[in-house]
Amino acid sequence: MSGQELPGTERRDDVGPVLRKGVGIPASGWFDPRGRALGGFAFAVNRVTGLGLVVYLYLHLAVLSMLLRGESAWSGFLRLATNWLFLSLDVLLIFGILYHGLNGIRVALVGSGVVPDRQKALWWALGVIGTITLAFSALHIYGSR
Amino acid sequence: MATVRTREAVRRRSPRAPRSAGEWRTMTLTGLGLLVLVTVHMIANHFVVRSIGGLRDYQQVLAYIANPAIFTIESLFLLFVTVHAMLGLRGVLLDLDPGPRLRRWIDRGLAVLGLATLAYGYFLIGTLASRA
Repeated sequence: MSGQELPGTERRDDVGPVLRKGVGIPASGWFDPRGRALGGFAFAVNRVTGLGLVVYLYLHLAVLSMLLRGESAWSGFLRLATNWLFLSLDVLLIFGILYHGLNGIRVALVGSGVVPDRQKALWWALGVIGTITLAFSALHIYGSR
Repeated sequence: MATVRTREAVRRRSPRAPRSAGEWRTMTLTGLGLLVLVTVHMIANHFVVRSIGGLRDYQQVLAYIANPAIFTIESLFLLFVTVHAMLGLRGVLLDLDPGPRLRRWIDRGLAVLGLATLAYGYFLIGTLASRA
């Protein structure tokens, strides 16, 4: 070369743009659904349902503690738990369990290499199974009133 | 000054990097076990008894938990769900990119929380079964 600078040499030391999806995703980036593909959306919902189920686990243990206080305490809780709002929370719980469980099957199958290239098809297929199961469960729970 | 990105720095920043193969396997195995156990738990507690929401009254709960097969299933369910929940919480917390010191505290805190959950859960199941 004849001492001529290559194009762009003066910009070589500039700091490049920080890309959101590169290595080092922002700490809270997983729950931001904007600009996500199906896999990212499924991951975010999986985490939200997982956190919800952990909260429910401790709520459930607290409620079951009423059994230690005897029959009258439990009967009082049952009167509250059989109203429409509580039964709706049961349906919400079943949605959380179904989504987290069925998405977990998808993640296990894709992650273990059993069906590494079928994650979208699995999401939709398991989604149909989950929706049917949720509808059946909701009908059963509301129908018991 | 040039920034040198070591492999360790990249590993620490990546959300999936802290999860070891053993941890992933444990998460998957407890998850698969939970699929069976949570199905049994939900059917037994919402779809068997003919009452509003399928909920049992006090005497029915005691009779239910005193059944040796149910006692075993519910004990396993508590173990699997606690391990799975603590590993899941750890994954979420490690995504917040804590330093090594905070990470150690997270591990200790979750171990204590998990053990306390198991201790209280088994106390609850055992006490109810003994009342039947």
